[in-house]
Amino acid sequence: MTIASQSPTQALVAAPAPATPPAQRPPARRRRRLSQNRWGYAYVAPFFLVFGAFSLYPFLYTAWVSLHRTSLSNIDGGTWVGLENYRNLLQSEFFWNAARNTLTIGILATVPQLCMAVGLAHLLNYKLRGRTFFRTVMLMPYATSIAAATLVFAQLFGRDYGLINTALEAVGLERIDWESGTWSSQFAIAVIVTWRWTGYNALIYLAAMQSIPGELYEAAEIDGASRWKQFLHVTVPSLRPTILFTIVVSTIGAVQLFGEPLLFAGNGTTSGGSSGQYQTLGLLMYQQGWSNFHIGQAATTAWAMFMIILLVVGLNAVIGRLRARADR
Amino acid sequence: MATVTFEQATRIYPRTERPAVDGLDLRIDDGEFLVLVGPSGCGKSTSLRMLAGLEEVDTGAIRIGDRDVTDSPPKDRDIAMVFQSYALYPHMTVEQNMGFALRLAGIGKAEIARRVAEAAAILDLSDYLQRRPRALSGGQRQRVAMGRAIVRSPQVFLMDEPLSNLDAKLRVQTRTQIAQLQRRLGTTTVYVTHDQVEAMTMGDRVAVLKDGLLQQCDTPGALYDRPANAFVAGFIGSPAMNLVTGPAVDGGVRLGSAVLPVPRDRLARASAGTGSVTVGFRPECLEAAAPGEGFPVVVDVVEQLGSDAFLYTRLPVGDTGEQLHSSDVVVRVEPRSAPPVGATVWLRGAAGGLHVFDPASQARVD
Repeated sequence: MTIASQSPTQALVAAPAPATPPAQRPPARRRRRLSQNRWGYAYVAPFFLVFGAFSLYPFLYTAWVSLHRTSLSNIDGGTWVGLENYRNLLQSEFFWNAARNTLTIGILATVPQLCMAVGLAHLLNYKLRGRTFFRTVMLMPYATSIAAATLVFAQLFGRDYGLINTALEAVGLERIDWESGTWSSQFAIAVIVTWRWTGYNALIYLAAMQSIPGELYEAAEIDGASRWKQFLHVTVPSLRPTILFTIVVSTIGAVQLFGEPLLFAGNGTTSGGSSGQYQTLGLLMYQQGWSNFHIGQAATTAWAMFMIILLVVGLNAVIGRLRARADR
Repeated sequence: MATVTFEQATRIYPRTERPAVDGLDLRIDDGEFLVLVGPSGCGKSTSLRMLAGLEEVDTGAIRIGDRDVTDSPPKDRDIAMVFQSYALYPHMTVEQNMGFALRLAGIGKAEIARRVAEAAAILDLSDYLQRRPRALSGGQRQRVAMGRAIVRSPQVFLMDEPLSNLDAKLRVQTRTQIAQLQRRLGTTTVYVTHDQVEAMTMGDRVAVLKDGLLQQCDTPGALYDRPANAFVAGFIGSPAMNLVTGPAVDGGVRLGSAVLPVPRDRLARASAGTGSVTVGFRPECLEAAAPGEGFPVVVDVVEQLGSDAFLYTRLPVGDTGEQLHSSDVVVRVEPRSAPPVGATVWLRGAAGGLHVFDPASQARVD
């Protein structure tokens, strides 16, 4: 940085300034600033090139495709239909079913996941023996492949030989046909998601907790706050920005949920159960594009998912901004 | 209001050999302002935290009033603490910060508001009650931390270097304000600092600690006039007392070629073990003498303070002898007649300004 910024400055100083007529000054200055910062731009360019090629272009191309009736085998050869795909999507009961499922699975997964993560982080924040071991263990589900984890959980939730039904029977309860029911299947999928992401979020919370000064807890202790009150009045308020962040990340993950419902039945069908009881938006998109070959319709669904994420994240940002303003 | 008593209180941190606080015996009177002072690592903060209940007491006991609080949790001790970092709750307003303890204690909203308003008025915080700590200056935050302690009207205030995050000027101001406030409230206060000027100016009594051991606890004046040992003598006072160790000879202690007179009986007792003796003079207890009288020093630096001037001098080369703290001898002189740098000055001890210590035990000899 030092080298990059120094040499142009020297050039600037050396340039004869009085000769420049005042009228031409602004453009000259802009050009100079551009050349002055050229190394800065050069250093950030690789990222933006890759971002453009692999994110921005596909993103815009998806928008373009969503305005066409086109099939998987001939993506470029579609016919322009304007917003028809969007109208179809909004009128499709499959879309609303998938949206509802995505919402309920999302809530079932995200809320307990984040609550448990805060609790676990709080426990791990104590001086425990073998703390590093527990922290590593927490991250292991995250390191497991979705496919492997889902197949194992599908076995556990199996109707005839699943461990969970066996356990339910052992304590005198009835077997549950997890896969075929709406709530039961969504609950089971939420369990997989929760299992996979709780540790990850707990580590993020733990990192944030460790930056809370210990004197705050001591002050609270002297003020007469019990452990629980300390958690409520010191830990949680200090974690608020982190909690907002994890909510955003988990929400994005929930809207894009795909692998778990795809593999839950064990056979990789995109229908999300016999009556679509756990078909998510991601699954619907895949079904439209790769089972029904309507790639234009799939692109439309993809854009709809993007809009939903944008809406949720924007809402979060607004809430965060309002709270920050109220804080001041 | 209550007394505070440390009885042989000891704290040994796990996996350490030496106690951080070693058999501390201290009695603090009702309404007294006691300052714990010492260099870093001397155990002053640990002692305070033991009293607060934030640190375990390994052996011994701590009493507040007649209650033995050695094993009570902090909230049952009826104390309030001001932390060095203030430890204000960042998401609460000034009002909520100050009222938090009362709220947890289940006191009614109106009563909390009344007491907070009262404390805020004392501390000149009434206009800032709805602000958050982030939006306050360092001095205001410090006052909020004080206010949080005041509203609870506890039996004891504990203060852990509450001024060390303020700039020099504000520190001097706040120092007097805290001392005044304490006298006005009459609450027993234990105050920790590493700054001996703070200790001397604020405390009714000052307890000097070193390596976990209490060295001396007395009024600021007594500490200054009759330090119990060479450490206290060197620690209290600014600039520090000049301490020089030399061989005992007939009639005094030899400093190079000169002999500094020391009363016979004190000389005999101080040099009984080692044959040498440590003598100390405060900078203001040395005075210029005629050449040939007393001992000569060379002026290195002249520090002009307006009301005083301090000469930082050294004994001439080849004439040094064995010394305790440094080869510097600091002398206070009249600012208008300070000698120039490089000059040789003859000094002698003023009458009654001599401190004698046993070099082996470091203890004072009277």
